[in-house]
Amino acid sequence: MAGITVEGLSTVYPNGVRAVDALDLSISDGELFALLGPSGCGKTTLLRTIAGLEGASSGAVSIGSRDVTRLPPGDRRVAMVFQDYALFPHMTVAENIAYPLRVRGVAKAVQQETAVRTAGGLSLGALLDRRPGQLSGGQQQRAALARAVAASAEVLLLDEPLSNLDARLRLEARTFLKKLQRELALTTVFVTHDQAEALALADRIAVMDAGRIRQLGTPREVFQRPADTFVANFIGSTPMNLVPREDVIIGVRPEYLAPASEGLFTGSVSIVENLGVTSLVTLDCGEDQIGYIVPEDDEPPVGTTVTVDAPAARVLRYDKETGLLVR
Amino acid sequence: MSPLWIVRRIGFYVLITVVLAFFAVPMLWLASAPFDSKPGLGLRWPDWTFSNVSATFAHPYTLSSLVNSLILCVIATVVTTVLASLAAYALSRVRIPGRDLLLYLLLLLSSVVTGTAAMVPIFVMMLQLGLINSQFGTALVIAGGMLPAAIFILKDFVDAVPRSYEESARVFGASPWQVLGHVVLPVARPGVATIFVWAFVNAWGNFLLPFLLLRDVGQQPAAVLLRTLYDEGGSANLTVIPVFSLLYSIPVVVLYLFVSKRYGFRFHGGIKS
Repeated sequence: MAGITVEGLSTVYPNGVRAVDALDLSISDGELFALLGPSGCGKTTLLRTIAGLEGASSGAVSIGSRDVTRLPPGDRRVAMVFQDYALFPHMTVAENIAYPLRVRGVAKAVQQETAVRTAGGLSLGALLDRRPGQLSGGQQQRAALARAVAASAEVLLLDEPLSNLDARLRLEARTFLKKLQRELALTTVFVTHDQAEALALADRIAVMDAGRIRQLGTPREVFQRPADTFVANFIGSTPMNLVPREDVIIGVRPEYLAPASEGLFTGSVSIVENLGVTSLVTLDCGEDQIGYIVPEDDEPPVGTTVTVDAPAARVLRYDKETGLLVR
Repeated sequence: MSPLWIVRRIGFYVLITVVLAFFAVPMLWLASAPFDSKPGLGLRWPDWTFSNVSATFAHPYTLSSLVNSLILCVIATVVTTVLASLAAYALSRVRIPGRDLLLYLLLLLSSVVTGTAAMVPIFVMMLQLGLINSQFGTALVIAGGMLPAAIFILKDFVDAVPRSYEESARVFGASPWQVLGHVVLPVARPGVATIFVWAFVNAWGNFLLPFLLLRDVGQQPAAVLLRTLYDEGGSANLTVIPVFSLLYSIPVVVLYLFVSKRYGFRFHGGIKS
């Protein structure tokens, strides 16, 4: 068991792209940590640099107290699950799970025993003799996880672990993943572009953009107090209202706005979108479009004029120039 | 069904029959002539005898030439498959400037190296190296001629092996040799099988190289010996040639059937996931 420390890490590709740019990060032992960001933000490169699949151009990566910056992937004691799971198609599930042991030259009997035990823990017991091609998407994901677990590494790295599953299965797999991580108490870093996935799973989230971390915090911190307008825009299933006012930008989440006799914004209802138990109402306030969430039974008719307000603590102010949160 | 349509139909089938006969007649000759007491160059129903077979076995060089062929082909095929696998993997994964140019140059040169144009320098070189009349030396020259094309074909298969497979194995601590042996080659197996059979068939049918480099009749493979099968009168020895031709065809067919059943052939890369 070990934490991960990244100091001043840069990863520059041969074509000159600085995918990771002088990045500092500390992930504690047993933490479930999310690297979140839009595609091309460097999150996968950071994960691959921690794994050793990309070389660090400068800076250092430590796992526990060991500096692993110059070690090959196999000597870092990390396990990784790839986005496509990378299960070997010519091996059975059991052979796949036991592969980390086979590489180390562990006895066949021990390999078999470990495969059976690990597969049992991930409810793959009945599928040991199947080939990956005969498994469903969810089973493939569990088999890939089982193989990573069997490696008994200090750190588990997951590249977009849920992106290859269909929507319904994804929720199930998400819960399963969190439960598994809690049972193993294994330091886990996962990469995702889905903010909802990061919020639901992670203990802490690093929101990345252009090779740097924009904000590092718990899901609650990142959701309630985005450090800048980029994070504010990126986090949340409905985008945050960002309204320029004199010298600042006012930021309020649609979820925190509610009709009031007087308040921040007044406008006429232009669109109502049904989100299930709630609805997203869009107000036309001159130049700005303000969204707010109402319970399903309280939809205002289109065209009526509504005033909305939010608790003072939920109204954030961002600097107009830098986009940073004004405290 | 107009009369014109019927005439066209008949003409079409006549054409097909002629084309079919063109390919079938030599095959039928190969099946019937070995068992005919008076085999000729024409095709007729044999009167079933095994005297040709015993005559062929009694010939001083027929069986040994088939053994020579086997030795030559096994060496050339193994060398080609092993080296092509290694080279294809390296060329597929390593990013060096001018790599694609190198590959196309290889493919271009391969047709020259095996071809007649390079025969004189190759012969002189082999003479100076003392490798004339050497099965091993000849096998190496044959392998050298096949390698560029083999690398080129196999690289396509290796390209199709997802990188994540290799990276996954590397994270678990696999060495480059283990990555190749455990993951890349097994996944690219249809390609390796294709190259193996292709190399074997090519080497088996190669006439020019062994003809020039193996001067001693005791060393010559079947493809070369076939040319020397004359009777005392100087005409083709039709007692031995049909049986010998049949024997000569069998190993390639057997190999093809075995590999096809075991591994399956594909002439392109691509992974079904």
